Amino acid sequence: MLLVEKVDKVYPNGAEALENVSLRVNAGEIVAVVGGSGCGKSTLLRLIAGLDRPTHGRIRLDTETIEAPHPAVGLVFQEPRLLPWLTVAQNIGFGLSDRANQERDDLVREVLQRVGLVDCASNWPRELSGGQAQRVAIARALAPRPKVLLLDEPFSALDAFTRASLQEHVLDLWNAFRPTLLLVTHDVEEAAFLADRVLVMRPRPGRFVAEIDLGLARPRERYGPEVEATKRRILGALDRSLRLHPKGEELAPAAAI
Amino acid sequence: MVTMTAIETSHLAEEKSAVTTRSEAPSRRLSGRFLLGFVLPVLLALIWEAAVRFGFAQGRLMPPPSRIFATLYDLAITGELFRHIAVTTARVAAGFVVGVLAATLIGALAGASRLARDLVDPTLQGLRAVPSIAWVPLFILWFGIFEQSKIILIAVGCFFPVYLGMLGAILSVDRKVVEVGRIFRLSTFGLVFRILLPAILPTYVVSLRAGLGLGWMFVVAAEFMGASEGLGYLLVDGQQLGKPDQILAAILTFAVLGKLTDGLLAAASAPFLTWQDTFAPRN
Repeated sequence: MLLVEKVDKVYPNGAEALENVSLRVNAGEIVAVVGGSGCGKSTLLRLIAGLDRPTHGRIRLDTETIEAPHPAVGLVFQEPRLLPWLTVAQNIGFGLSDRANQERDDLVREVLQRVGLVDCASNWPRELSGGQAQRVAIARALAPRPKVLLLDEPFSALDAFTRASLQEHVLDLWNAFRPTLLLVTHDVEEAAFLADRVLVMRPRPGRFVAEIDLGLARPRERYGPEVEATKRRILGALDRSLRLHPKGEELAPAAAI
Repeated sequence: MVTMTAIETSHLAEEKSAVTTRSEAPSRRLSGRFLLGFVLPVLLALIWEAAVRFGFAQGRLMPPPSRIFATLYDLAITGELFRHIAVTTARVAAGFVVGVLAATLIGALAGASRLARDLVDPTLQGLRAVPSIAWVPLFILWFGIFEQSKIILIAVGCFFPVYLGMLGAILSVDRKVVEVGRIFRLSTFGLVFRILLPAILPTYVVSLRAGLGLGWMFVVAAEFMGASEGLGYLLVDGQQLGKPDQILAAILTFAVLGKLTDGLLAAASAPFLTWQDTFAPRN
C-alpha cells in the first residue's frame, strides 16, 4: 500500500506546490490524478519517486518511508528519456545492473515480449517512433518488477491513435504484473478508461478537491456509455473545482472589472 | 568470381536483413566522395607544374610539385625525413598527452564542483586570452631551449580547447537523463561512468580533435624557438638556406600528418559514437 501523509512541498523560491496532500493507494489499484497544468501533479509523483523530498509530511510504501528513489517504485516520465547511447535492450536492462547477467537477460527478454518490441531489441533509440520509445520507457520502468509504477502524463506527447493503443498496452502489462499504478494525466478520457479511482487536483497550492470511485469493470469499451458517463462525472468534478474559489479570491471585487 | 558470389549470397542469406544490401552501395559512393577530395589539390598541382614547365613562371621561389616531391624523395631515402617526422610527432604526442590529461582533470573538477569552477575558471579564461606564442620567451627562460619548454608549450596549446570542451560538456548534460540514473539509484561512480561519460563523449572527442590540431600548430612555434631536428627545423633551415622546396616539403608533410592523426582520432572514437542522432548522413 502506498501512503501519502499530509505532504506539503514548498520550493526554495517560495512557490507552494502542494499543501496538505494525503493519498492512499491499495496494492494493485489504478489511481489517476487529473488536473490542469501546474497543479502540482508532477511534483507529487516526483516526491513519491523519491526524486524530491517533501517539506512536511511523509510518504510510505508498506512499512518503509520513502526518502530517496526506491527499488520498488518505478517512474515513467512524460518523455521517454531513453539513454541514446544504449540499445533498446540495454535501456530496458539499465535498472537491472545489480542482477546476474542471465537473470537480467531473461527479465529484459520477457518485458520486451510483453511490449512487443523484440524485433527492436538491438536498435538505437533514435530509430524508434515516439510510441515505440515510450513503450521502451515503460518496459524499462517495469523490468525490475516494481510494486508501484508511477506514470507522469506518459502519453501526452503522442497522437490519439498511439495514445489509445498504449493505454491498452499499459492495461495488458498491469494484468501481467499487477503493480500499483498511479497515473497523472490531464486527459479525462485516459483517466476514465484506465483508473479504478480518480482524484481531482487544484493548483496554487496543489491539493485534492474531489475523489471519484469509478466502480467500472474491465475490460471497458473506450467509447461505450459507461466510460462516456464517467468522463462527464470527472469533467463535472473538474468544473466544480474551478468554481471553488481558492483562499482569498472571494474578497476580490468582481464588480471592479 | 564464383566464390565471391557464393560468399556474398550466403552472407546475405545469413543476415536476411536490409543491412547488407544497404551498406554496399554507400561504400562505393563513399570511396567516390573520398576521391573527390583529391580533385582540387591535384588540379592545382598540375596547373602549377605546367606553368613552370612552359615558362609562365620561373619556379625559383615557387618550386613546381615535381621538385617538391624530388626533395621529399631525397629526404626520405636518406632517412632524414623520418627522423624529423619521428621527433616532431613525439613532441606533439607528449605535449598532447600532458595537455589533455591536465585539461580533462581540471575540466572535470570544474564541471563537477561549483566551488572549483568559481575558483579556477576565471583565471583560466584570463590565461586563455593570452596568445599562447607569447609564452615562448618566458618558457625558454624557465625551461631552457630543449625538449621541456617545447612540450610545455604544446601542452598549453592543447589544454584550452580540451578544458573548454570538457567543462561545457559536463555543464550541458541533460538533467532529465541524470534523473533516469537517480531513479535507478546509481552510485556517484555509476552516475559518472554510465550517464555522464557517455553523455559528454561526443563533445569531448570534438575538443580532443581541436586540441590535437592546435598541438600541430604549436609544435612549429616550439621548433622555431631553436631545434636541431623536427619538421619545424626543416622550415627554418629551408628559409635560412633559401630552399623553398624544402619548406614546401615540410608543409606538405605537416598537412599529411595532421590529417592522418586527426583521422586516427576520429576513427578511434567512432565506434563509441554510433548511437548519435546527427544531421550528417551515416553509413
